[in-house]
Amino acid sequence: MIRVEKVELNLVESLKRHVEALGEAFKQAIKPDRVTIEYPRERRRYPLSFRGFIIFNSEKCVSCFRCAQICPANAIQMEAHSKPYPSIDYTKCIFCHFCIESCPTGSLNSSKIHDVAFRKMEEMVVSANMMVKLPRILKEEKFTVDVIVKDKYWKLLRKKEMDDLSIPPIKVEVPKKIVTCAEPESCLGCRLCANVCPREAITVKEIEVAKRVVSYVLKVLTEKCVGCGLCVRQCPMNVLKLEVVK
Amino acid sequence: MEYEIKVPVQPPTELQSLFIPIPPEYVEEVYRSEDFLVLVGPQHPGSGHMRLIVRVHGDIIREVIPDPGYVHRCVEKIAENRLYIQNIPLVERPSIMDALNFNLGYVRAIEDALEVEVPKRAKYIRTMLAEICRIGTHLYDAAILAVFLGHTTGFMYPFGIRELICEVLVRITGARFTSSFIIPGGVRRDVDEQTLKFVYETTFAIEKRLKSFERIFIKNPTVIARLKDVGVLTKEEAIKFGVVGPFLRASGVEYDVRKVEPYEAYGELDWDIPVADAGDSYSRFLVRVNEISQSLKIVRQCIKNMPEEKLKDFRGTFFDEFADIVLPQGEFTTLTEASRGTLIYSIVSDGESNVPYRMRMITPGWLYLRGFMESLKGERLADLQAIYGSFGYFPPEADR
Amino acid sequence: MEALVISHQKQIGDKMLEGLISGLFKIFTSNMMNIPLIEPLVDYLMQIPLVNLLVALILWRPFFAVIILPGLVGLLIYLLWIVYWERKLTARVQWRVGPIEVARPIRGAIQALADGIRYFFQEAIIHREAHKIYYIQLPILAFIPILLPLLFIPAGNVVGIKTPYGIQLIVAFIALIPLFIVAMGWASHSRFAYIGSLREAFMYFAYEIPFIIAVVAMIYVYGSGDPYVAVEKQNIPGAVLNPLAFIVYIIAMIMATSRLPFEIPEADQEIAFGPFVEYSGILFGLVMTLLYEKLYLMALLFVILFLGGWEGFYVGILGDFCAPLVLFIKTVVVISVLVIVRSVYARYRLDQAIRLGWTSYLTLSIAALILGMFVGVLV
Repeated sequence: MIRVEKVELNLVESLKRHVEALGEAFKQAIKPDRVTIEYPRERRRYPLSFRGFIIFNSEKCVSCFRCAQICPANAIQMEAHSKPYPSIDYTKCIFCHFCIESCPTGSLNSSKIHDVAFRKMEEMVVSANMMVKLPRILKEEKFTVDVIVKDKYWKLLRKKEMDDLSIPPIKVEVPKKIVTCAEPESCLGCRLCANVCPREAITVKEIEVAKRVVSYVLKVLTEKCVGCGLCVRQCPMNVLKLEVVK
Repeated sequence: MEYEIKVPVQPPTELQSLFIPIPPEYVEEVYRSEDFLVLVGPQHPGSGHMRLIVRVHGDIIREVIPDPGYVHRCVEKIAENRLYIQNIPLVERPSIMDALNFNLGYVRAIEDALEVEVPKRAKYIRTMLAEICRIGTHLYDAAILAVFLGHTTGFMYPFGIRELICEVLVRITGARFTSSFIIPGGVRRDVDEQTLKFVYETTFAIEKRLKSFERIFIKNPTVIARLKDVGVLTKEEAIKFGVVGPFLRASGVEYDVRKVEPYEAYGELDWDIPVADAGDSYSRFLVRVNEISQSLKIVRQCIKNMPEEKLKDFRGTFFDEFADIVLPQGEFTTLTEASRGTLIYSIVSDGESNVPYRMRMITPGWLYLRGFMESLKGERLADLQAIYGSFGYFPPEADR
Repeated sequence: MEALVISHQKQIGDKMLEGLISGLFKIFTSNMMNIPLIEPLVDYLMQIPLVNLLVALILWRPFFAVIILPGLVGLLIYLLWIVYWERKLTARVQWRVGPIEVARPIRGAIQALADGIRYFFQEAIIHREAHKIYYIQLPILAFIPILLPLLFIPAGNVVGIKTPYGIQLIVAFIALIPLFIVAMGWASHSRFAYIGSLREAFMYFAYEIPFIIAVVAMIYVYGSGDPYVAVEKQNIPGAVLNPLAFIVYIIAMIMATSRLPFEIPEADQEIAFGPFVEYSGILFGLVMTLLYEKLYLMALLFVILFLGGWEGFYVGILGDFCAPLVLFIKTVVVISVLVIVRSVYARYRLDQAIRLGWTSYLTLSIAALILGMFVGVLV
């Protein structure tokens, strides 16, 4: 335990402290330890782990809705393209990047851009085809600042170069999964899974087992299934399951 | 010699339209005596997002009634409609500079419920991050205190140093604050050696910069004159009014949740809690200054003793791991020592839904508000800002 | 006949005007500045009628002292410099850059000018509760106590009114300025302005007596209230002759112009710029510079009393202009160093400042007075 002593100032001590404070001010006035980064004339270099504007790769997307469902701010809406793709409402986005962490294929990726300007409120809902590349950079001076801490001294290193604002996509290693039906006998035949499937990989057929007794056969086309798991979350009877493909 | 003024005094009519949360009889009583009501805030430059209804007798404060709630954001209610994992960004919003401590407390409550074992390396990283945030918050409060005293250099220096804290956080977590980095069962991603080395070096750079700050602000005689013997809370009063955190320790009580019930890696590290006896504004400030150096010590130890272990990267599997968390039935409470004091999280789960039935969050600001109000009694009106700054009262944190 | 009378009257009028002009010209030329550097230009201009009157007026010593240097033009240049410099210096101490965006190649040096122009064209709002007449005229009237001391501040041969009581008169007129600030707070009819005026009045009592005692101590040292005698006797600078009075005077300068740590009447965090809270536009521009102008006047007196006045270097080619220039440069340097206190200190509380003023500060000033008496006997 450290006991903080009560401060008692006598005249000498107080004069000494006055001199110290003034001395520090004069020292800084002559040789300042300046830490200003003159943004936007120069740009601070951010690390590759930076959480910024979200870049989207439509080729990898499997339309699994995971990003939209994990989003704490409800900023992601799925838009109808050839497949449902995410669109991000930047009026709501809080840059927690839960969506990027959730994306099983790595189709969402971060970038170092933290300063996107929009002209209208409506434009802030960025659709999927706007997210495929970095936003257009209008004007920027070509200086990059690195924060360097060396020998207990903090300084800024200015370099005349443009920082690459994109972050190379990280390869996501998630085992491929497809959906299987664990208890076919419990299937109600509600066809919710077939309706929700973006790939039409599930078919539900009605078979008459006996007279006026109908059973349903749920069939998963394994070659079409991408393992998005939408049907798993839809199924009211919890008979569907995602299983790892070996 | 005092003369009695027998003028029928009418309370100003505008006080009725200002929605003050006190009965009109009280207003009338104040105006029948020789006192006045002064409304400080919510637009006053030295009040923050709250209103203080100050009853003054001349220049001396008789009583202060707080009117908080201007930045109440229904965190507890919103939390009842979100998944457990989605609440992580929410709970760190009330106090953005202290985000990781708030994050840690909430996540520990979930871990308590699920009985998840956290890897040792993750524990060290969490401790380190919590302490970095503690430094940042103490610097922030020091800056606000300085600007309340009119000392602009004292405002700029801590914010300059905080830039290093933000740089550290952005390298580790990817965000300058509100990083939502701590999740049940560990952290979102591992920290590499190079970053740890940078953090280690940074602790020394911060110390060096703090020397400048010390010379120009902490030891400045004018600052001491303003803060010393102002807003005194004795040990008994501090305990009686339920003051928490560094402000309790400034009144001479040796209580720190990190020592009493060590969580994360605090039990394994070597550090001390600073305690002062005076209980005035200056010792409240000095205790926090000393805590900064202790926190730097903890950060260095964390990096030196960081166990080698491979942490799980949640990239790609985040949704599958956390979206369907369902807590067992019951109530789970954790105590955390956030920068400004004890932080209590209490999660009530009904055992079947994937959202909390009730999430109770008691922030340190709310706990020491009473002590803050009591310490203002008997001081001068000009000292209101000095005491306010010495408590580092942060309305968004208290209002949640 | 009538026409003749009119022309006759006209002739008389012309003659009178001519007499007036020649009389004025005689007065101006009798006491003209002698600057060898611009002598050929002056000689050329003196041959042109009417222009020569103007040139003679400008170079007439009393006019030059009050209007050009160290008077109004000097004041304006000083204001443009000090507002910029104070911000820049504070920024340097605070690890920042300071004003830079206006005229980037010269590091934002015309920031103060840009601000001044903005104030000039900004709408000056007069709020409903204000006492309109006084509210508008007080910032303008406040120039009277600024201009009056300039009449008595000499710089070598250049002086407005030469009097053996110059120092006392300057002090007396400087003491008038707080009156206008208090009146502004009253005319603003706002709670913050009211508290600010009250604080200004309290602070006035805290610094004015030690300030006057410090000046009196220096008058004892020199044995006269005449600035000329004061400067003449400073073979050793007054700061060395009476260091106590020197310290007292510096603190008085800081207190009187509401600099930190005594920025109590303004106190933005507590009472939001005090007496000036309601002012906007050009009126705010006027009241904001008021305290800087006061600082300028006090620093001029400071240089005369403690730093050897206009004695310094002498460049033959500048002639009479040299003395005002030296005085001006010394003053600006003194103020430029002094403004660093803004970035070093926190604000005292009102009661602390008054206690300080009436105890240790007053004691120090009386000690300075006694020291001044002794030194006055010796010198």
